[in-house]
Amino acid sequence: MNLLWLIPTLPFLGFTILVLSSGRMSRERARIVGVGSVALAFLATIYIATQYYAAAAHGLDHGAGFTVSLWPWITAGSLNLNFSLYLDGLSLSMLFVITGVGALIHLYASGYMWDDPDYTRFFTYMNLFVAAMLMLVLADNLVLMFLGWEGVGLCSFLLIGFWYKDPKNGYAARKAFVVTRAGDTAFAIGLFLLFRELGSLEIQEILHLAPENFEMGGNMPTLISALLLGGAVGKSAQIPLQTWLPDAMAGPTPVSALIHAATMVTAGVYLIARCHPVFLLSPIAMTMVASIGLITLLVAGFTALNQWDIKRVLAYSTMSQIGYMFLALGVEAWDSSIFHLMTHAIFKALLFLTAGSIILAMHHEQDIRKMGGLRKQLPVPFWCFLIGSACLIALPPTSGFWSKEPILLAAWEADPIFWYGAVFGAFLTAVYTTRLMLLVFFGTPEGGIPKTHEPKGWQLHPPLIILAGLSLVAGLFNLPAADVLPHAHEHHPPLWVEITGILLPVVGIFIGWQVFLKGRWQALRMESPAFDGLRKFLASGWGFDWLYDILLVKPFMALAKANRNDIVDLVPKAVVVASSQCYYFFSRGQNGQLRFYVATMAAAAIMIISLALFT
Amino acid sequence: MDLIQLLALMPLLIVGGVSIVLMLLIAFVRNHALTCFVTCIGLLAAMLTSINTIGDGIIQVTPLLVMDDFTRVFCALMIGISLAASWMAYTYMEASDEIREEYYILLALAALGGCVLIASNHFASMFIGIELLSVSLFAMVGYMVHGGKSSDITLEGGVKYMIMSGVSSSFLLFGVALIYAYAGILTIDFLAAPAGATLSQGYLIVGTSMLIIGLAFKLSWVPFHMWTPDVYQGAPAPVTGFLASGAKIAVFAFLIRFLIASGPDRIDLLLAGLTIMAVLSMLLGNLMALLQSNLKRLLAYSSVAHMGYMMVALIAAIKTGNISEDVAAEAIGVYMVAYALMTLLAFAVLSRLAALNSEYETGNIEMYGGLLYRHPWMATCMFVAFLGLIGMPLTAGFIGKYYLMLAGVDQQLWTLLWVLVAGSALGLYYYLKVILVMCKESQDDAPAELETPVASGFSGVLISGLCLMVLYVGIYPTPVIDWIQLALASL
Repeated sequence: MNLLWLIPTLPFLGFTILVLSSGRMSRERARIVGVGSVALAFLATIYIATQYYAAAAHGLDHGAGFTVSLWPWITAGSLNLNFSLYLDGLSLSMLFVITGVGALIHLYASGYMWDDPDYTRFFTYMNLFVAAMLMLVLADNLVLMFLGWEGVGLCSFLLIGFWYKDPKNGYAARKAFVVTRAGDTAFAIGLFLLFRELGSLEIQEILHLAPENFEMGGNMPTLISALLLGGAVGKSAQIPLQTWLPDAMAGPTPVSALIHAATMVTAGVYLIARCHPVFLLSPIAMTMVASIGLITLLVAGFTALNQWDIKRVLAYSTMSQIGYMFLALGVEAWDSSIFHLMTHAIFKALLFLTAGSIILAMHHEQDIRKMGGLRKQLPVPFWCFLIGSACLIALPPTSGFWSKEPILLAAWEADPIFWYGAVFGAFLTAVYTTRLMLLVFFGTPEGGIPKTHEPKGWQLHPPLIILAGLSLVAGLFNLPAADVLPHAHEHHPPLWVEITGILLPVVGIFIGWQVFLKGRWQALRMESPAFDGLRKFLASGWGFDWLYDILLVKPFMALAKANRNDIVDLVPKAVVVASSQCYYFFSRGQNGQLRFYVATMAAAAIMIISLALFT
Repeated sequence: MDLIQLLALMPLLIVGGVSIVLMLLIAFVRNHALTCFVTCIGLLAAMLTSINTIGDGIIQVTPLLVMDDFTRVFCALMIGISLAASWMAYTYMEASDEIREEYYILLALAALGGCVLIASNHFASMFIGIELLSVSLFAMVGYMVHGGKSSDITLEGGVKYMIMSGVSSSFLLFGVALIYAYAGILTIDFLAAPAGATLSQGYLIVGTSMLIIGLAFKLSWVPFHMWTPDVYQGAPAPVTGFLASGAKIAVFAFLIRFLIASGPDRIDLLLAGLTIMAVLSMLLGNLMALLQSNLKRLLAYSSVAHMGYMMVALIAAIKTGNISEDVAAEAIGVYMVAYALMTLLAFAVLSRLAALNSEYETGNIEMYGGLLYRHPWMATCMFVAFLGLIGMPLTAGFIGKYYLMLAGVDQQLWTLLWVLVAGSALGLYYYLKVILVMCKESQDDAPAELETPVASGFSGVLISGLCLMVLYVGIYPTPVIDWIQLALASL
């Protein structure tokens, strides 16, 4: 356990070395440092895991964690924060996802980015991201967690705008930063409230104190939970702060895989799972969590059906899957949520990386209308994508099935409405995934099957194959997080519920196959002009961007424009004008004439003497 | 006068002796270096004697002078300032076409005047001191009459100073006369006189007021400050340095002694007038420096402002009543030392630069553009001086200002403190403006300078030493504070 600090330190060390080399390092060395640091962190995680299980075998209470205090961080009044790490089953699960999937993505990226002139800068940011993300999940107090939280936000900003020479990418990066910032602010206010109410920011202490100090269903826990939820919603791209994620696809594809699929966007899920005792005190907040998840998964599912950019389809699918995780949290299926987080991290990373391979092979073409029939030319990506899609659709016995099925059942337990929505979402998932699969790998596009070229570098395929293998078997893992989180109650839904949950995706595949490959039921493609408006509406992500533009961006810009000369600046300006006027006024007295000087002296003397005499 | 008294008076005797030795020396050999050397050695000896005798108790030398620790500490400071003024004058004089040697005689006489003023506890010696100081200064201010272009302004400065000083001396003298009419004696602790008052209180009030007005002129308190910029601008840079530090300190030292001896309750009557003068000094001094384009005028207004700052502590001291044991008097003392160091540093750099090109002294601030790249060390020392005058931490100026604030807060002089803060904020602008100009990238029309500067190493030692002292006092002010406390304890 004493080596726990190594895990975040290793990537941070990598970052430090890379940043200090400031571009003078050769690509080969940068690759070794960049990939090696995360790989070592993964090995350290395995070592720590064996220690953890060994300790657990020696009669340690299940679910209890280890605190490793490094040094005092902030001491101010009653606020005492240590730079300390906390390890339990939940953070251990996250560690595996971050370092394991992260190392594979780093390896893949070392090949994918090989031709980029800013190779070192890329790995600098990536290593910093991994370090910050590890800090986030290992943090023992909420302020340290916030440090990691902001750190990953910064790295996300830097990496979305990695190809900054295109202003569009810079805009996407800014959008992601600003929108998540709205959530971060809510999170920060939530922290202040927690400190005011409970006088502590240590997570474990808060989780103990909250049930004692707050009454069930009171206003304060609801308010705090809602604020924390605001932070989670921003980071995890849930409605209403979801608009940044599709644009974030402007970053390099490994970034999308690591940050915007596997790790950072699930930070919100982690936050809620970590703070579940607080959320449990507020049924309203729990309903909010579930509803946000449900709405997001449906909205994102519909949108994914209408996208033509392969990465945007995957982005909306990520939103939708995180919606499932939120739904699971909201219906108290904690371990299922974290389980789905893990399997999703693996298979969505797989899908993104495969998409990256396809994009490379297609000379950076991302439009699926221009793809088609690629399965012969790209056999490895084809099979990997197929496996990833099967997981996404949640076909048994892939890992996606094992993690999604309990969520559906828990949703039924909580409220059948959630189940209806979720199961319809599963159907949508099947349809859009089939559509993507068929358009990319089957059929023939109008211009004939495009020519591809084999990307260089041995680093591209092994991560895909490993991730594909993991996607298939990850459902069998025993999640250590299960010990930390309260167990979901036994599910006994009617049989037809279970069967529907399994069968609907299959129906979805069938319909997708008929519509997008066989060309039947063309009305469902909604290609007639009558549906133009609806299609546009769906493709734009239900017009959220348009709505925010009108409600927030435009008024803000107008305000900024109106205040171009800064009203507040008038006060300092007035001081300047007043002082210089005073200067001119008094300088006039300094006219160099002796008689005037002496007269002034005499007058002043009279004044001083009279003051002395008559006061 | 017995031997003990004579020995006690030694610092003053040495300073007086220096002027006589110089006069005789010049009669036989005209040698600038030798003259300056003799002056420096003599003044150094006087300063060391003064420091050495600290702790020797209070010795009254004739009814006119008192040699106590207060006298010794402030005489040492006064003589030290004179030493610096003669040191920095060497390079400056060497570069000019003027007859050089007589300057040092005048300086020694001015130093003697200052010491007499500090040591006086009698109005007669006070007047002798103040006149000795002023009359020497008339000649010093107008010293560079043959200096070509700038001779007009120099002469004008000298004459103006003489006439206005005369006016102020008449106030001083008349004030003393009124006080004598009221109390019947001329010692500054006249209220302790056994004869008692026979005339009305009005004599005392008007007399004290006129005395304070006479001193206010010397201290350039607004509205008696009108001479300051003209004279500062006209005088040679080393003289301005002496005028801004030495002359002010001697008068302020006498003022403290006078306040304590006469009992603050007498001065209470003047509180309103003093407060008005303090507010005006702080505001007008800073406001008029704001857009000033000549560095010497700018420093003149800045010295007006700094005198205003010191008045805050002075007023606090009067309100306390028990002056000698109070933080307010200590604040004045510490501020005097800090202010003298910073001002001398600024003028030492100015003298050195003026030796290279007299435009630095007479011209626009724009002359200093890119100074940091041409003379990095000079510019750095100027930065330190200006940062000190701003009151930046780690410089002597911060310690001084901190003390002033402390004294003001102690007596809850909120109005004055607000004005002090506002004045300091205004000050920030013009001090930083000069620093900014010096940091500007070197322009093409850099002023022509003397190829081989004369004796620059000599003045470099002085400048570096002053710069280190400004920083040293800012970081470790305890020795200065200890000295000031020692001085005040003997009153």
